Amino acid sequence: MPGRCPECGSSEVVEDSHYSQDHLVCTECGFLLTEGLLTTTRSEETFSQGTPAPFFIRVPAVRKAVRYSESTAEVKKPCRNQIQGQKRVHDLCRILRVRPVVEDTASELYLKAYEHQSFLHVTLEKKEALVGCCVHISCRQHNWPLTLSTICSLLHVEPTLFSTVYQHLLKELRLDIPTLSLLDLVKTHCDGFNLFQNSASIPSQFLENKDKVVERAMQLVELASETWLVTGRHPVPIITAAAYLAWQSLFPGHRLKCSLGKFCKLAGVRQPPPASQRVKEMLDILVTLASQLAWLVPQQLDAKTVVKYTDDILRHRTLLLRQTLSFASTENTNGHIDPSEGTETSGEAEAGNSSGEMVPSVVEHLGDVSRRKRTMPIFLPPCLKQRKWKKACPEAETTLHTEPTTGEEEISDSEIEQYLRTPEEVAAFKSARAIL
Amino acid sequence: MEPDNDIALDILITNVVCVFKTRCHLNLRKIALEGTNVIYKRDVGKVLMKLRKPRITATIWSSGKIICTGATSEEDAKTGARRLARLLQKLGFQVKFAGYKIVNVLAVCTMPFEIRLPEFTKRNRPIASYEPELHPAASYRVKALKATLQIFSTGSITITAPSIQCVATAVEQTYPLIFESRKMIK
Repeated sequence: MPGRCPECGSSEVVEDSHYSQDHLVCTECGFLLTEGLLTTTRSEETFSQGTPAPFFIRVPAVRKAVRYSESTAEVKKPCRNQIQGQKRVHDLCRILRVRPVVEDTASELYLKAYEHQSFLHVTLEKKEALVGCCVHISCRQHNWPLTLSTICSLLHVEPTLFSTVYQHLLKELRLDIPTLSLLDLVKTHCDGFNLFQNSASIPSQFLENKDKVVERAMQLVELASETWLVTGRHPVPIITAAAYLAWQSLFPGHRLKCSLGKFCKLAGVRQPPPASQRVKEMLDILVTLASQLAWLVPQQLDAKTVVKYTDDILRHRTLLLRQTLSFASTENTNGHIDPSEGTETSGEAEAGNSSGEMVPSVVEHLGDVSRRKRTMPIFLPPCLKQRKWKKACPEAETTLHTEPTTGEEEISDSEIEQYLRTPEEVAAFKSARAIL
Repeated sequence: MEPDNDIALDILITNVVCVFKTRCHLNLRKIALEGTNVIYKRDVGKVLMKLRKPRITATIWSSGKIICTGATSEEDAKTGARRLARLLQKLGFQVKFAGYKIVNVLAVCTMPFEIRLPEFTKRNRPIASYEPELHPAASYRVKALKATLQIFSTGSITITAPSIQCVATAVEQTYPLIFESRKMIK
């Protein structure tokens, strides 16, 4: 029993607790004899362990280390990984030579994302991808053209992991970022080409002025976006294809024989695999538009020769596009009338005129041509042009003729038994497994 | 062409995913031994069983939880699930057909026009997102219906929703937005 109260001398001193703090208090006069410690520090515990402690001081027998994430310190210092991540953000921004405001935004975004519950306990690989995501989002918010593949290659992160983290980050932080502008990307992508500087490895006929190539490549990219070559596709192969055609068209005499692979090698860039397909598609579009220019019609241009006249086509591209599309739409509407007109005129010709024998065949031919054109509209997404109409699945055809199911039909034993092995089959299977 | 004109859009259901529980423990080794058309994945602790009619694939866990995928209608999904439960009953397990629920429906719908995805994304940000470097389609989420639509430039749309009714409602709600971004002749 603790001693007497020093105030009134009473022996009615009890141990009480006020919230989590222990007290020794006199019940007669309310005098507080002693109160326990609310918190302990390492030094106090070390001290109290050395001296005989009063019984009311509760000292934990075993001190557990408090985790950094569970620490209740008011001002938490950033952990080592966070500091390293912030450094990576700054280094990446400096390599890309972005504006200071982009760097600051990326840094703030990384801090916010790192401390979010969804990203705090992820693997280091994901945290590395998070660095790239924050830089990329910051660049997009400030209209700084940068592709995801560039960031992936700089950080050596798997593209699938990067895209997962990127989409997760956009969803968790509810970020709204503008669409990447392809025209801005053309300029930055062409900056990486080596064909615009004098070099011993590049023949003189291949050197070109960068501004001219960029301007023409931008026009080609605009044309490609109007004719469904850009939507839904990766931007880099389109830009590489446009830059290649632009470079070729500026001096076609010497450059027509240079292939896309050789161009990429001279430029010092990797050839993206779809780029050759994009070149073919762009050349097809140029040939289609060139057929509308009166002075080019006699030339009978094809994919190999149309590059020489790219300048003319691009200069009049808006008018040519409008003309080609409106011509296609009138063909579509006329195509509905032609067959009936054709049959009427052919009937009249047969009734009256001896020379009318030629007329039905001509009218029928025109009808055939218009019908053919009606089925092949111009400027569709390429996958629609190449689509093969699949035959209807025979199962679907049979289900059309059977009665509709409700899901509650009776199931016969014979239907189930086809999925079960007989005892003999089970024994054979067991013996085969034993042998293996 | 106005969006208010009655245009019949064919919505083709390509996959219905359903789950149910047997409320009993299942011996996967026994199912693998005595069942045909069975693949036993010992490392992950599940059995894959394929039924011919309706054409579904069932993933069976020893806890009794079963997921059926591959059906092309809700009725077929239920028939397939019931057949599977009956099959397990025949194998000697005390199976109950409990907790049956359709969890996912995948459908495809084709619009009669091409769609300009950058324009569609710009009009419907932030609900719509379009990253051509990651995926060729624009993604549009209808939170109220828990439906996700993948919109391709060709006019093809893939809808993922918890039920067929939600799929139809999602297409109805989204059609006017997609119509505004259709290909126009300038």
